[in-house]
Amino acid sequence: MSNRSHRIFSLGRLTAIVGNSFTGLTRLKIFYVLLLFALLLIGSSVFMAQMTFQQEFQVLKDIALGAMSLFTSLLAILATARLLPQEIEDRTAYTVLAKPVSRFEYLAGKLFGVLLLLAFSLIAMSALFFLVLTLREQSVLSETARQMGSAPPEQSAEALRLVRASAFNPNLFSGIAVIYAKGCLLAALTLFVSTFATSTIFTTIVMAFVYFIGHLQPIAREYWLQTNSGGWFTKTFLAVVALVFPDLQSFNLTDDVVAGNAVPLALLVKTLTMGLFYTAFYLALAWAAFFRKEL
Amino acid sequence: MTEPAVALNGVTKIFPVPFQRCSIVAVRNLNLKVAAGQIYGLLGPNGSGKSTTLKIILGLVTPTRGQARVFGQESDRVASRESVGFLPESPYFYKFLTGEETLRFYGKLCGLSRASLRNRVDEMLQLVGLTSARKRQLAGYSKGMLQRIGLAQALIQEPALLVLDEPTAGVDPAGAQEIRDLILALKSRGITVLLSSHLLGQVQEICDRVGILANGVLVREGSLPELLGMEKETQFVVENASPQLLEEIERLAAGSGARIIERGSPRSSLEQLFLEATETPEKRTDE
Repeated sequence: MSNRSHRIFSLGRLTAIVGNSFTGLTRLKIFYVLLLFALLLIGSSVFMAQMTFQQEFQVLKDIALGAMSLFTSLLAILATARLLPQEIEDRTAYTVLAKPVSRFEYLAGKLFGVLLLLAFSLIAMSALFFLVLTLREQSVLSETARQMGSAPPEQSAEALRLVRASAFNPNLFSGIAVIYAKGCLLAALTLFVSTFATSTIFTTIVMAFVYFIGHLQPIAREYWLQTNSGGWFTKTFLAVVALVFPDLQSFNLTDDVVAGNAVPLALLVKTLTMGLFYTAFYLALAWAAFFRKEL
Repeated sequence: MTEPAVALNGVTKIFPVPFQRCSIVAVRNLNLKVAAGQIYGLLGPNGSGKSTTLKIILGLVTPTRGQARVFGQESDRVASRESVGFLPESPYFYKFLTGEETLRFYGKLCGLSRASLRNRVDEMLQLVGLTSARKRQLAGYSKGMLQRIGLAQALIQEPALLVLDEPTAGVDPAGAQEIRDLILALKSRGITVLLSSHLLGQVQEICDRVGILANGVLVREGSLPELLGMEKETQFVVENASPQLLEEIERLAAGSGARIIERGSPRSSLEQLFLEATETPEKRTDE
C-alpha cells in the first residue's frame, strides 16, 4: 500500500499534464485545419505578382508574419478556451485533481501544453516561411547574376548583396519571438478567463473583446491623456486598465521587421519581458480564481 | 493504522444559488467515520448529498462548516490524496489515450517511477481484464470497459482508501458482479472502500457498514445486521427435506427456546437468474 511522502511541487506531475494536454490538442481536427490554412497562406506567397524584388520580399514577409501572428493568436485562444470548461463538464478534471496533484500544477500543466503546441506550430510555419524565402532569394539571385553578367564585378556583387539583404535579416527571428510571446500572453489570459467562465463559447467571446481592446487600448490611452490633464485618478485608472488589458499593439513589431528596420535589442528584451510578465501574472490570477473553485 | 480512513465531523456544505437570495444545503451536519479495512456503503436517492460528500472527502469541494479528514489529514490538503483512489460516476477519461496510456498518465500523477509504472500498468490491466484492449483508444471502449479502466486508474498507486461513486452504474449484471468480486478482493488486501450507490442489493452483499443519506442528512448509520435487526437470526436452505425432517427441526427449535420466523421455498432474484442463464464456461475478459 502507498506510503509516499508528498512533494508540494513535482516536475514529473507537471510534465505528465503538459504531455497529456499537448497530445489532446494535437489530436483535434481544428488544429490541423488552422495550421493547414496558415501554411497554405505562407506557401502561396511564393506566387506573388512580379514586382521589384524588394517589394516581393516585403510582401512575402508581410503575409507570412501576418499569417503566423494571426494563427498563433487564434490557436492560443481557441485551444486554451476549451481546456477547463470541457474537462470540468467531462469530469476528467475530477480524476486528475483526485490524485495528489495541486491545482497550480494542473493549471500550469494545461497552459504549458498549449505553449508547447504554439511553439511547434510556429516552428512549422517558420520552417515553411524560410523555405519559401530561400527559394525566392535563390531565384532572384540567379536572375540578378544573369542580368549583371556584363557588369563590373563590384557592381554585380553589390547587386547580389542588396538582394540578400532584402531577403533575410536577423530581425525576422525577433519578429517570430515576439509573435510567440504574444501567443503565450493570450493563452494565459484565456486560461484565466476560463477559470470563471461557464463555457468555451463565453471564454472565446470575452477573449475576442479583450483582443480588440488590447489592440486599441494604447490609442485610447494616448487620446485620453492628451485631452485630459491626467490627474492621479485618471492615471491610476489607466494603469489598472493597462494591467488588465495588455497592450497588444506593443507586440506588433512585424511592421518594422518587414520594412527591414532594425529592432533595437532593448525593445526586443522589453517586449519579451512584458510577454513573460503578463503570462506569469495571468497564470497567477488563474490559480487564485481556481484555487477554491468548487468542482 | 489507528486513524480512521475517513472522519467527517459536523460537515455542512451550502451552495449559494447565483443571482438569487437562496442557497442549497447539500450536506447538513454530517458525522461519519469509516474505519480502515472496511467496506462502507453510502446510500441515498439522487440528490441526497452522496456525491458532494465524496467530493468533500476528495478535496474537490470545501465544506462550509466542519472538518473532513482522510487518514488524519485534512481532506483539502493535496497530500491527503496520496493514499486515495477515486472512480467517479460514469467516468469520462481522455478518449484520445489508449488504456495503457491512461494508466501510465495517472501513474505519473501519483509519482510512480518508470520501472514500477511498467509493472503496475500490466498488473492493473490484468486485474480488470483489459490486457487485450490495452492498445485501443478509450473512444472505442464500452461503458463497462470504461468503468473497469476507471477502477484500474483508481488503484494505480495502491491506495489505502478507494472511493467509488456508483461503481456499477450502467454496467451489465455480469460486469457488476465482477466489480463486486474485485471490491471484496481489495478488502481482503486491507484496502478500505467507500462506495456510494442507490442499488441496495449490491450494497447489502458487500458492505460492512452503511450510512443512509436523505436530503443531505445522515438518517441511518451502522452495520447491516444492526440496521436490519437480524443479528440473532440464522438462515438454512435445505434441499430434499422430507416433511418429517422439517417437523423435527421445528420441534427441536421450539424445544430449545428458539423461534422459527419464516418457512418457505427460497426465491431467486432476477439478477441471479440472469447471471445463471447468461453464464458462459469461459471467464469474461474484455467486451
